[in-house]
Amino acid sequence: MEIYIESLLNGLLMGSIYGLTAVGLTVIFGVLKVINFAHGSILMVGMFVAYWCVTLTGMNPYLAIPIVVPLMFYFGYFMQQIVIEPVFKAEKDVREPITVIIVTTGVWYILDNLALMFFGAEYRVAHTSVTGKLFELPGGIYLLQPKVYGFVITFACALFLFWFLKNTVMGKAIRATSLDRDAASLMGVNQYRIYRTAFGIGTAACGLAGCVLIPFYYVYPSVGLVFDIRAFIIVVLGGLGSIPGAIIGGIIIGVIEEVGAMFMPSTWTELVIYGLFLLLLFVKPAGLFGSKQDF
Amino acid sequence: MKIVKTMLIPVVALTMIAGSFGVAQAATKTVKIGNIIPLSGPSASVGIQGKNAREMAVQEINDAGGIKSMGGAKLEMLYADSKSDPTAGVSAAEQMINSDKVALLTGCWNSAVTYPTTQVAERYGVPFVVPVSVRDTITERGFKYTFRVAAKDSWWTRDQFAFLKDMAKETGTKIKTVAFVYENGDWGTGFAAGWKKLAKAAGYKVVLDEPYPSTASDLTPVVLKIKRAKPDVLFLTSNASDAILLTNTIANMKVHVKAIIGSGGGHADPAFLTAVGKNAEGIFDIGEWETDLNKPGVDEANAKYNKLYGYNLSGEAVDAYSSMYLIKAALETAGSTDPVKLRQALADTKLCSGPGSIFAYKCIDFDKDGQNKQAALVVVQIHNDNGTMKRFTVWPKEGRHAGYTPTFPMAQ
Repeated sequence: MEIYIESLLNGLLMGSIYGLTAVGLTVIFGVLKVINFAHGSILMVGMFVAYWCVTLTGMNPYLAIPIVVPLMFYFGYFMQQIVIEPVFKAEKDVREPITVIIVTTGVWYILDNLALMFFGAEYRVAHTSVTGKLFELPGGIYLLQPKVYGFVITFACALFLFWFLKNTVMGKAIRATSLDRDAASLMGVNQYRIYRTAFGIGTAACGLAGCVLIPFYYVYPSVGLVFDIRAFIIVVLGGLGSIPGAIIGGIIIGVIEEVGAMFMPSTWTELVIYGLFLLLLFVKPAGLFGSKQDF
Repeated sequence: MKIVKTMLIPVVALTMIAGSFGVAQAATKTVKIGNIIPLSGPSASVGIQGKNAREMAVQEINDAGGIKSMGGAKLEMLYADSKSDPTAGVSAAEQMINSDKVALLTGCWNSAVTYPTTQVAERYGVPFVVPVSVRDTITERGFKYTFRVAAKDSWWTRDQFAFLKDMAKETGTKIKTVAFVYENGDWGTGFAAGWKKLAKAAGYKVVLDEPYPSTASDLTPVVLKIKRAKPDVLFLTSNASDAILLTNTIANMKVHVKAIIGSGGGHADPAFLTAVGKNAEGIFDIGEWETDLNKPGVDEANAKYNKLYGYNLSGEAVDAYSSMYLIKAALETAGSTDPVKLRQALADTKLCSGPGSIFAYKCIDFDKDGQNKQAALVVVQIHNDNGTMKRFTVWPKEGRHAGYTPTFPMAQ
């Protein structure tokens, strides 16, 4: 019995972290209406920044958050400004600019290969102060400390973003732009600045996910692929553009993966996940929390 | 004047060519050996290791006076780049046999290249020595001219079980249950099929048979299943990323088994040990060869190779190196390059000692299909040696790292 509780708890923890890896994707989609194919690579960059920050200074991975998150925010902010914005402007009359999707694919390849050039293909594991530490619950249930911290950080991040979008001027401007970019422009919102900020928030979320993953995961240049497809499914499952949707979607996938594997070979859990995904697309194409209003 | 000049060049050139033929005939005879190996493309690094090992062996053989029964004939190496491409391998074999008139061929590392290329050699009746290529069927076609030095693919699982049996006997440990956890590709499922047969034959109860996708982001569910199944011994077939995840998760979840036995691949990747550190303590892994093998000549050969090329000998390199000494021994017996005599000499040769016998098993000794029937693998244990994780050879017992006592069952 304990083993099933252990797997359920693990599913909750790991699922929330999957949700965190998908937050960036959902924020960027919600505002820019662009599927960011470079998402996995940005997550990889976030992981590498966190990895080097922790390995070179030997600091606690969670104390690195105030360094990694702003760094990643500006990385995204300027990438949007320099790489994506010119293409965006050329296609400004279209609601879903296709060329931008192709540009993000280019960014994916460039980032992956730059990482390969600078860091090599080997797997790196950060040996931090929380790595391998456990919380022991009664009944011989072990929970990995970094996953528990990751769970807490995920919810803190979701609550903060929710508050930020509801209550700040910038948050309101972001929501206005995501509802109707032209109307927002007419009200005096600089839509390109909003796009940069939204992209920055998306990459910053990847940086946060990097800090959460580093204490128990490995990094290498194509690590993004491991989380990438899962993040897409989570985002569609939860509803494109919805932050609570991403977290709940992540938890659903995490629980199916962990608990499902107790009853069937673990290769089959993917079948269940993709099956559920297709079913949901038939029944509720907007996703669990998706609506016409993206936030 | 101009005509004289233009005439002069071909005349001089012709004289030089004729002259060079004369020199070649006057010098000692050479035996041409054609080598078809991947020197570019995806398997280039392993191909170049094999080329270096061949060069080192041939240099030693020629310096020691060549083939004595043939009046001190020298070995001459010709190389063709297979690019890991079967078509390139086949045409290189055709060319080497017909134009270069090689006495025998070696290669090709990639099983997919070796398979059709040995077929060409068989058709022409030219002996073909295969140092490494693991596909079982290469020596299961009743060919007369194909000789394989390395172990077959299916012998890896055979030796994992042989090791387990020997180790249990040596330490008086009872093994009743086994668990199989493997990546769900060709490699993992192939190994698992072998394990199932062997476990049945050995009378072990299989308590878990779990394939997993090697792109999995989290292997906690797999580890929880191992925890629930409580096997005595855990067999793994993992690539690098999943080997890291499994090892760390098994250590974190405090799952204890008597032995964990890897299958090379991810467990043999140098990045694996640095990534998992102390969590790898006590894990067993199987491989073709190890530098700490306790056998005469191993240290010297490895030191020389490292000095020449800047890295250690690998299993592939050792098989290529030993193959050259095998060819030398066969040529000494045959006393000529006549293919029928040479084939017979290769079939009769039993290379057990002397230079070149740095392989992990006892002898190179071919069965009627041309498979080295004594070929076997080595098992290592990963152990913390003053702060660095190292691989210590533990099996076969005669090759065990001098002074090392394996921890079996693994420390709890």
